[in-house]
Amino acid sequence: MAKMRSTPEEFHRPLRRILVALLVLVLLAVFFLWRIDSPRVERFRAALIDRFVPSFHWAMAPVTWGLEVVQDFQSYARLYEQNQQLREELRQMKAWKEAALQLEQKNARLLDLNHVRLDPKLTHVTGVVLADSGSPFRQSVLLNVGARDGIKDGWATMDGIGLVGRISGVGHQTSRVILLTDSNSRIPVTIQPSGQQSILTGDNSDLPPLEFIEDPDAVRPGDRVVSSGDGGMFPAGLLVGTVVLGTDKRLRVALAADYQRLEFLRVLRSNALTAITDPGALLALPPLQGPPAPPAPLPSSAAEAGSNG
Amino acid sequence: MIDGATREIWLHRVMFLGIALATLFWRLLPLPLAEAASCAPEASLCRLWVWLDRMPGPDLLLCLIFAWTMRRPDYLPVLLIAAVVFLEDLLLMRPPGLWTLLVLMGSEFVRGRVALTRELSFMVEWLLVTGLMFAMIVIYRLIFAMVLLPQAGLGFALAQLFWSVLFYPAVVYLSRVVLDLRKPAMGEVDAYGRRL
Repeated sequence: MAKMRSTPEEFHRPLRRILVALLVLVLLAVFFLWRIDSPRVERFRAALIDRFVPSFHWAMAPVTWGLEVVQDFQSYARLYEQNQQLREELRQMKAWKEAALQLEQKNARLLDLNHVRLDPKLTHVTGVVLADSGSPFRQSVLLNVGARDGIKDGWATMDGIGLVGRISGVGHQTSRVILLTDSNSRIPVTIQPSGQQSILTGDNSDLPPLEFIEDPDAVRPGDRVVSSGDGGMFPAGLLVGTVVLGTDKRLRVALAADYQRLEFLRVLRSNALTAITDPGALLALPPLQGPPAPPAPLPSSAAEAGSNG
Repeated sequence: MIDGATREIWLHRVMFLGIALATLFWRLLPLPLAEAASCAPEASLCRLWVWLDRMPGPDLLLCLIFAWTMRRPDYLPVLLIAAVVFLEDLLLMRPPGLWTLLVLMGSEFVRGRVALTRELSFMVEWLLVTGLMFAMIVIYRLIFAMVLLPQAGLGFALAQLFWSVLFYPAVVYLSRVVLDLRKPAMGEVDAYGRRL
């Protein structure tokens, strides 16, 4: 009896073991494939997300709506306190508005004096944040615009105020934005007014640190940080945030973009990047080898020197 | 005709898929994170809340997989586990395959010891699961270090482990009460009449 019962298992078990071993091998292979040839796998990932996440959209809408209702309700509870706060802020705003109007007039006059034309190439596409796989491990959001809308990898993304991140991964109708706070994000920035160049390095915290500052003494908390446009990655002069001194005594950046409420993002169309194909004319002089040429008749040597220079 | 046992199995498989998709869906939602700046200066409770909100939550899918394989391994075939976790890998921007591999091995480890764990008390099972999860995280991070990938702080991983371990009994209890998932009783047989 016992023998009969075990007969199907005698075939079943080794087969199963082989299946598991195969699965393990396949998964390992996928992981190493990703490690070695990451762009290909990331393209596949983008395509999958492109299919999968928009189909969630109908389900996401009521949940996000419900959460907003809950948050609104919570804010009703603090109505009086908020009202006071708003009044105070309004008073401050009025003072600022005066200042802004004066500055605007002054600015218009100065622009008029200089005949400045703002860069006509900077147009943008606005997208809505679809999903957010943000976690303490990864900081990125998904937008509902993609290759269909002409989005390309590497373009800068802003909310109304400041830089948010860059496009990294484009599907047909979605694209992923790596936020400045992600640990993979490195952005060249300029610190105003000292003009120091630095790299804004994401480390998954709210306040990404500034690295490679030439003269940290020239930088003070409160200085403005703007993108520098080095390396042709981003357009120069996009507002990033202000410098703050972190609790660990490092210089960090309080980002100007409102990361708590990323809803509509604008993707800036950048110009096509110039690809570097040759090793660079400045560095690679034709190598001089061998002994110097014997002195030749004067006119020909002058011609050679001219051709070398 | 489909007999009761087969229907139970397929019902539970579909339920597992549903629950996994629901947790994944929840993790993809664009929820706002609480921020410390919005707290009043002396509201320490609020600060605690913000701190908790920023920490990673439990990995409920992992708890579910362990709880189910511990009780009824036949409800969770290897391919189903691999497919679900691999999808999670891809959608949550983790390196594809690695975490799936570890979960697969962990579940196989449990599956191979079903006869043993059947007689264990819940406390011992809990300890076993804790050890497994910890080992998985350690191996995961070791492999990350080996292939020179940047990784988040150990504190975050440990916080996630802590929450997962804390939520494990709840997952077990809920699967038992709501989904009627229990260890097979003495003399229960499957569709082929074999003893479970």
